[in-house]
Amino acid sequence: MLKAVNITKRFGSLKAVDNLSFEVQKGQIYGIAGPNGAGKSTVYNLITGFYPYEGKIEFDGRDITGLPPYRIAKAGIARTFQIPKTFPSLSVQRSISVGSRFGAPGGLDSAHVNEILHFVSLETERYQKTGLLNLLGKKKLMIGAALATKPKILMLDEPMAGLNALEIKAMMGLIRKINSDLEITIVIIEHFMKVLTDLTETLLIIETGRMICCDAPEIAANNPQVIECYLGDTYVEC
Amino acid sequence: MNLKSMVTFLAVTYGLIGIMPLFVGDSVIIMRILTMILIWSIVASCWDVIMGFAGIFSFGQVAFFVIGAYSSAILSVSLNVPPVVAMLMAGMITAMVGVLVGLPCIKLAGPYIALVTFAFHMALKPFFSGPLGKAIGSGGSRGILSVPPIKIFGMAFSSAELVPFFYLALFLTLICSGVIVAILKSYWGTAFLALKDSEDFAVSLGISAFKYKLMVFGITSFITGLFGALYVHYVGILSIRVLSGQVFTTLMIMIVVGGIGQYPGVVLGAVFTVTAEQLLRPLGIYRFVIMGGLVVAVVLLLPDGITGLIRKLFPGRQEKESRSIETHKSSLEGVG
Ligand SMILES: Nc1ncnc2c1ncn2[C@@H]1O[C@H](COP(=O)(O)OP(=O)(O)OP(=O)(O)O)[C@@H](O)[C@H]1O
Ligand SMILES: [Mg+2]
Repeated sequence: MLKAVNITKRFGSLKAVDNLSFEVQKGQIYGIAGPNGAGKSTVYNLITGFYPYEGKIEFDGRDITGLPPYRIAKAGIARTFQIPKTFPSLSVQRSISVGSRFGAPGGLDSAHVNEILHFVSLETERYQKTGLLNLLGKKKLMIGAALATKPKILMLDEPMAGLNALEIKAMMGLIRKINSDLEITIVIIEHFMKVLTDLTETLLIIETGRMICCDAPEIAANNPQVIECYLGDTYVEC
Repeated sequence: MNLKSMVTFLAVTYGLIGIMPLFVGDSVIIMRILTMILIWSIVASCWDVIMGFAGIFSFGQVAFFVIGAYSSAILSVSLNVPPVVAMLMAGMITAMVGVLVGLPCIKLAGPYIALVTFAFHMALKPFFSGPLGKAIGSGGSRGILSVPPIKIFGMAFSSAELVPFFYLALFLTLICSGVIVAILKSYWGTAFLALKDSEDFAVSLGISAFKYKLMVFGITSFITGLFGALYVHYVGILSIRVLSGQVFTTLMIMIVVGGIGQYPGVVLGAVFTVTAEQLLRPLGIYRFVIMGGLVVAVVLLLPDGITGLIRKLFPGRQEKESRSIETHKSSLEGVG
């Protein structure tokens, strides 16, 4: 469904993404992990058209290389951001409507916006300004707005970062529900190995922009190279 | 501000201004003040739309006003175009120039947009006073001295007949205010706000930054150019003095006093600033010292201008809203 072929991104002399290729299958929950600065978020920024790059990205058999971000959103790729982004000038409901009005194929669909408010449980906050939401609320808002574009694939960038154990559980439930009930393919960048082994079917591990391995999460987590470069210390925490 | 309070605010403010001539129609000076309030309120409103709502730090507002004025003056003087047609064409010319100035601004960050647009403003003076301007009929540094009045069905509108001109200006002001409200409250306005708040988030949801930023340049410069044209047919003369710092500063005072991004507060800003400038006129150049001090005071004490002050004095619904949010927040924390 989503296929990256030899993508490379240079920031000056730094290769943030280095000749990376991978493919996400339809219906999957696909994990991406790697140490800080490995280039995970940059991969998202390339897929969603925020930076130019070398190589090629295909989505649903169509070449989307070089398209501007808003066209990629309309094509059915939605994303969230590692550092939560909101529209402080807008209410929760209006923010989610933005995704529907501008990103969804048929334009504004108020019934769908209502369903999403319910789905991400932000109904009681619907008239609130988004700046007043707490961290979990902001993350749910980003997901809600992304879902309002009626995407085929949703890419989450560290959705668990900063959440407590209870909230992580709720977020995992939500992600599963998006995948199973809404039948949306999911890509997730995550540091917590437990979350990845629980949620994902395939796990891509990258370091300094290059692929270390790509396998079922249990297998990937036991890859000696992976343990050495990334999991060595994190594994103890989980 | 929601749609209902926005419309009420505008209806009351322009309504009160609109009935003034019934009482003071004989006073030349007051009629002049009222007419200038109408013209500047729209020019300042457009600045608030592009700067306050779209978050684009365009300093080209006076430049667009002047381009509209010169376009209509040149068209009607040199080419004998009927003023009503010339005014519409002036609006369209200004919109095109606005879009051209907007193009390089799309990828730039705030302060650089201010630099680019102000550089454009600065370039207009030598352009209109130099040989290039003369060639297109700007009259060089002497300017254009006999801009014809607006003629509609045989009736002439200019500063010779203050009351009729006032009502023509009011008519255009109401139409343009309606357009501004419609834009701000539609999804176009939402797109402007979303792009201002977080461009990354906005484009990831399908908003084209390119399209909506150029649109805001196009629409605001059209209306600004139209009012520049209205102004020039009103005063009948035009020179590069309109490009002076005074006009620019006065306009800036209006939106700071009204509250940036607090439309329609800027309309009160225009009422206040035009009146104050007129009352302080006996002080000569020193009135700008007072006005300048005022701006500093407003910025420090009332970050949201008069609008913020009104909100503080009459809390009303807004206050209730934020209170219920706070209670809600604490109940959430209780659960979490
Ligand atoms: N816009 C940019 N300009 C220059 N360098 C950048 C830019 N964005 C990212 N980088 C660099 O690219 C590398 C990869 O960054 P990226 O944010 O993709 O890492 P990451 O894997 O998401 O890390 P983290 O786990 O900390 O989120 C880093 O060295 C970073 O400094
Ligand atoms: Mg990252």
